[in-house]
Amino acid sequence: MHVYLPIAEMSANALLFLGMGAAVGFLSGMFGVGGGFLMTPLLIFSGVPAAVAVGTGTAQIVASSITGAIAQYRRNNVDLPLGLVLLCGGIFGAVIGVQLVRILRELGQFELFLSLCYVLLLGVIGSLMMIESVRAIRRSQLGGEASTRRPGQHSWVHGLPFKMRFPRSKLYISAVPPLLIGAFVGFLTAIMGVGGGFIMVPAMIYLLRVPTNIVIGTSLFQIVFLSAVTAVLHSTLNSSVDAVLGALLMVGGVVGAQFGTSAGAELKSEQLRFLLAAIVLLVGLRMGWSLVATPTELYSLGNTIRGR
Amino acid sequence: MTKSLTLVLLLAAALAVVPGFALGGAVARPDAQSPTVTQSTRLAPSPIEIATIKRPRLRETAPAEPPKPVDVPPSLTPVEPVPSPLAPESVEADVSMRSIAVTSGYAGAEIVVFGTIENSRQPSAESGFYDVAIVVEGVTERQDLRQKQRVGGLWVNRPAFAFASVPSYYALASTRPVEEFAEAGVRDALGLGFDHIAMTPAVAKSARPSSVELAEFRQAIARLKSNQSLYLRDDYGVVFSGRSLFRAAVQLPATIPVGMLTARVYLFQNGVLLSQYQSRVTLTREGLERWLHDFAFDKPLLYGLFVVALAVAAGLTASAIFRPRAM
Repeated sequence: MHVYLPIAEMSANALLFLGMGAAVGFLSGMFGVGGGFLMTPLLIFSGVPAAVAVGTGTAQIVASSITGAIAQYRRNNVDLPLGLVLLCGGIFGAVIGVQLVRILRELGQFELFLSLCYVLLLGVIGSLMMIESVRAIRRSQLGGEASTRRPGQHSWVHGLPFKMRFPRSKLYISAVPPLLIGAFVGFLTAIMGVGGGFIMVPAMIYLLRVPTNIVIGTSLFQIVFLSAVTAVLHSTLNSSVDAVLGALLMVGGVVGAQFGTSAGAELKSEQLRFLLAAIVLLVGLRMGWSLVATPTELYSLGNTIRGR
Repeated sequence: MTKSLTLVLLLAAALAVVPGFALGGAVARPDAQSPTVTQSTRLAPSPIEIATIKRPRLRETAPAEPPKPVDVPPSLTPVEPVPSPLAPESVEADVSMRSIAVTSGYAGAEIVVFGTIENSRQPSAESGFYDVAIVVEGVTERQDLRQKQRVGGLWVNRPAFAFASVPSYYALASTRPVEEFAEAGVRDALGLGFDHIAMTPAVAKSARPSSVELAEFRQAIARLKSNQSLYLRDDYGVVFSGRSLFRAAVQLPATIPVGMLTARVYLFQNGVLLSQYQSRVTLTREGLERWLHDFAFDKPLLYGLFVVALAVAAGLTASAIFRPRAM
């Protein structure tokens, strides 16, 4: 079943992208992550232009995370003020990121930049997760219960000005760290087509000391709105959001995620994290390989933005 | 029981991700397009097909029209031009479709360029008395060429050269290889053959490339474009189906940029250009696909909001459907 993707300007098999959406959706539902960091590389591997992969990926994240966000909101797991502060920073970061994508795309360096970002990010995140999950698996084998919340501890974060009260998280902290974290995640969303939960969640837990049950909900809330804004920005400035491709990924993704969620509930979280770390490292390796392997064709055509 | 189901699903997901890697291995170049595209567009008509179309027609027309009283031996090689008191030959041509629409299910299309030689002195369709070359060209566009260079172990794109104007699409069909009946100068002038396509270099900012480099850049563009089936060549694509009637099927790949296509027809005899003719085809986008494309480029903000709304709808619909099962 062939479809023509109007923005990617290629014709491809619809089933390929439906399946890709379903697979990534399944994994993201199971691991409780957005899946953007898998979706974007897979789209690039299958021939979608890098900028279109990123732009369309941001739109797809909206579909994949909105259900979870609503569910978390209903369970009162969203710290709205904190989410809004994160979102403000996020939008600021996204605006800068989208501009950077535009400039790099004109220079013909966006693909290289994106690959480098992915190799770096996936390598670091994957290694950290791998180490952490191995430790956690060992710990659980020894019978101890891992706790991430260490209440009462203070760090440099608590010495900053513009203090705000976040009652839901039982926090009284400066607005600067959440703004900065938000901006960084927003920047990543715009340049890499990721939700950024894998940065947001550890940053909220370890830097802001937000209670774990609030972290997921607030992060999801922030991701939905941030990726929606980023998708609109990409569409406006880069014309890099493909509606047909997006729709295929969304349909595959939301269905896959539903099965993934129930599957994830059955597995131990340490095992899940180990598995996810392995997938992350594999994708990173594959990306890195394309940077160092001698290409068969040295020349390439400049991807001038078509349309008119 | 649920645990085993989970593991099965997990395996399925892992397997579904793996083809992505495998696929990536096959399409190592960042600019490579989906392999499905090339598959669907490489539908060039086989010579057998053409032969089967041609043969019955020949039987019809050949006896009906007795050979002209010109002393031409019916051979496949070109013969000496015969000075004739008759009017000079001229060629007229047209294209099977005046406008072609690119739609959502678009996987490429085929147009047929057909024409006729007025005052043909050819004794039969197979005599090889005339040579015909048909060039179909798409809109010209600026084309940047990049070259990968190794920088610190990484392959980095470097701007190699810029052409101010390059045909976005080029298809050459002829009765036999153009090199056999047209000299290099003529091929240059008419744009016959990949090495002779009209490509205007952009005004060089710094160093002007040598003619050797320029030739390499032109070849690189032709090679890359022919990999995408945007540059095509069919050396025996033009077939005579009578003393004066000829036709050629030309493939249009799905990735062809929309706009005006120009079909130029050249009539040769013994290396001499006798006549030429030009015809046009309009390539448009239609249907949902056209609407989305125009929407995305004309009203990008609204389009972005539309896609986000689509995403919200997809997410909410799925959760509404799956809620009883998931909860």
